[in-house]
Amino acid sequence: MSSENPPPLNIPLHIRYIQSLGENQDDLVFHMTSHLRLNAIYWGLTAVAVMGQKDALPRDLMVDYVMSCWDEKAGGFGASPGHDAHIHATSSAIQILTMQDAIDRVDVPRVVKFILSLQQPSGVFAGDSFGEIDTRFLFCAVLALSVLGHLHELDIEKTAGYIRRCKNFDGGYGAREGAESHAAQVFVCTAALAILDRLDEIDHDTLGWWLAERQLPIGGLNGRPEKLEDVCYSFWVLSSMSILRKVTWIDAEKLTEFVLSAQDLEDGGIADRPGNQVDVFHTLFGVAGLSLLGYPGLEDLDPVYCMPAKFIEAKGLRTNWQSLPRRRA
Amino acid sequence: MSAAFDDSSDEQQLYAADPEWADVVPLQQYEGVDPIAPIFYSEEYKDATDYFRGIVKTGEMSPKVLKLTEHIIRMNPAHYSAWQYRYKTLIALNSPLKAELELMDNFAIQFLKTYQVWHHRRLLLGALRSVDVAVRELAFVTRTLRTDTKNYHTWSYRQWILAHFNDEARLWPGELPWVEELLEEDVRNNSAWHHRFFVVWQSGVRRDEVDREEVLRRELAFTKEKISLAPNNQSAWNYLRGVLDHTHTPYASLTSFVQPYTVGAPSDPEDSIVDLENPRPSAGAELPSLPALEFLADIYEAEGGDGISKAVRIWKSLADEHDTIRKKYWEYRIKDALHGAQ
Repeated sequence: MSSENPPPLNIPLHIRYIQSLGENQDDLVFHMTSHLRLNAIYWGLTAVAVMGQKDALPRDLMVDYVMSCWDEKAGGFGASPGHDAHIHATSSAIQILTMQDAIDRVDVPRVVKFILSLQQPSGVFAGDSFGEIDTRFLFCAVLALSVLGHLHELDIEKTAGYIRRCKNFDGGYGAREGAESHAAQVFVCTAALAILDRLDEIDHDTLGWWLAERQLPIGGLNGRPEKLEDVCYSFWVLSSMSILRKVTWIDAEKLTEFVLSAQDLEDGGIADRPGNQVDVFHTLFGVAGLSLLGYPGLEDLDPVYCMPAKFIEAKGLRTNWQSLPRRRA
Repeated sequence: MSAAFDDSSDEQQLYAADPEWADVVPLQQYEGVDPIAPIFYSEEYKDATDYFRGIVKTGEMSPKVLKLTEHIIRMNPAHYSAWQYRYKTLIALNSPLKAELELMDNFAIQFLKTYQVWHHRRLLLGALRSVDVAVRELAFVTRTLRTDTKNYHTWSYRQWILAHFNDEARLWPGELPWVEELLEEDVRNNSAWHHRFFVVWQSGVRRDEVDREEVLRRELAFTKEKISLAPNNQSAWNYLRGVLDHTHTPYASLTSFVQPYTVGAPSDPEDSIVDLENPRPSAGAELPSLPALEFLADIYEAEGGDGISKAVRIWKSLADEHDTIRKKYWEYRIKDALHGAQ
């Protein structure tokens, strides 16, 4: 499909696609993704919320399902019922419950304890007791503590110090110290620093330029030099640039065209690039990117928390990011 | 998000029908709540995970648990609880971990993009504490990189092995020649360039590299040669900037190198004066090189004075002609420089 004059964002169709995910009969795909279940629900909920219809998904059922993922032994949430608690699932749970105004169901002191217990001596966070470390988990921890109002319990200097050690020669950040710069990891490090109020750690000029360089002539964004464009980078890169207040450096028109041309206009959803199979992950990040680009008819998104801005504002957590102004339809 | 699914295994007997498992009480997936995102299991997966939940509950750590966890992770390599329990069982049983590594070799190649596969190996290496094994792992990483030369987990794992064992005699020496080979095969592999920076500049000083001036000379010569082969290769130019920044070397010291890359026509091939310090763009290269223009503009900007208007000219050409997708960025650079010059 050509990306010239692409079709507009078909909100009703994408909402129906997300609603239909619960009815999917493909058992192979489903059991293979049980480790993502709670994260997938967060992606779906945030997507419909940004498209203006948070209530398109049944609230009470969702809240009950989230609570069924609670791991009583560990004091955190697993990716699906019976799965061990993991920091990524825990932060997704907190995001979902916040958006559904059900955070009162959570044993906050226990969750805070679980999150803090995962911090390593170096300042990075492990995902769970398995011990895998990644700046993604650091971000999950910082986000969750912030949303729960318990950021003050974190050693800010220690946490920011680890991110500092991840800064690469190109101004970017990787999954851990020594790892290659990658746009998704740049996002988690930048967003974490925004929450920690330590954006001074970043080399704004070099990183801003590195991020601007992710845009390819066709309009899409990639995650590192010489890699293919992918719709999800329209969020990772764009949100980082919004936080650095440099989102105007992206050619918004061409990126918008790229994302819109990745829609499946028969069954709904957005894919990683035009013509490919859709999934809820790329549907969220495509819509999130469009929101930051000011696409008409969408709600404002907070790029730091990747949640509708109104929830973050209500908690007094809004930081100094900048997106493109919302265009009229 | 689709995952490879190997359906080529023989017909698997259900654990429910296996006498060896008669002493284990299987536990069903949590029921009682109508899940918003229901998981429809295949019979085989349901049976295996029911028995997994059963042995987790009793804390059984036996050889048959190893068989079960292997079965589960083959069906679903992202099942992190199964990986975790498997590792704990291996340690509890004092199982030969080298054999486990070998068992996992083919597995890793099939499921390269799964985090747990690599983390499991990391745990095994940590437990084995053997440089011999680390040497073997580097060879394994080399093999897996052949199938996916930019796999993020694989590269990160290699960096971990090197840093963790930090063995000057047996692990570090081969790295530079190895990464050079990779860049020989694909000069645009950003992961390889990053790895080079990690090896040369970010992991301590090797015994035979104490002369940092010499290292700098070598790296500049190497990078310039690669740039001459592929003048628009972002990774090489990023590496160059990284080296200059790291060593506090002024960009201006490379002015004569950069200039031939900033003009439209390639240099006359008959021009036989070969300047080894300043290799020229290879024949057929697409010129002007955008990264070269950016680099030269940065040199001019740092000069100040008349340099500013020269930089602005270059940025204008980028905004209007050579790199229009980043027009807004180049216009920012112009405004910023002119504002600073006031």
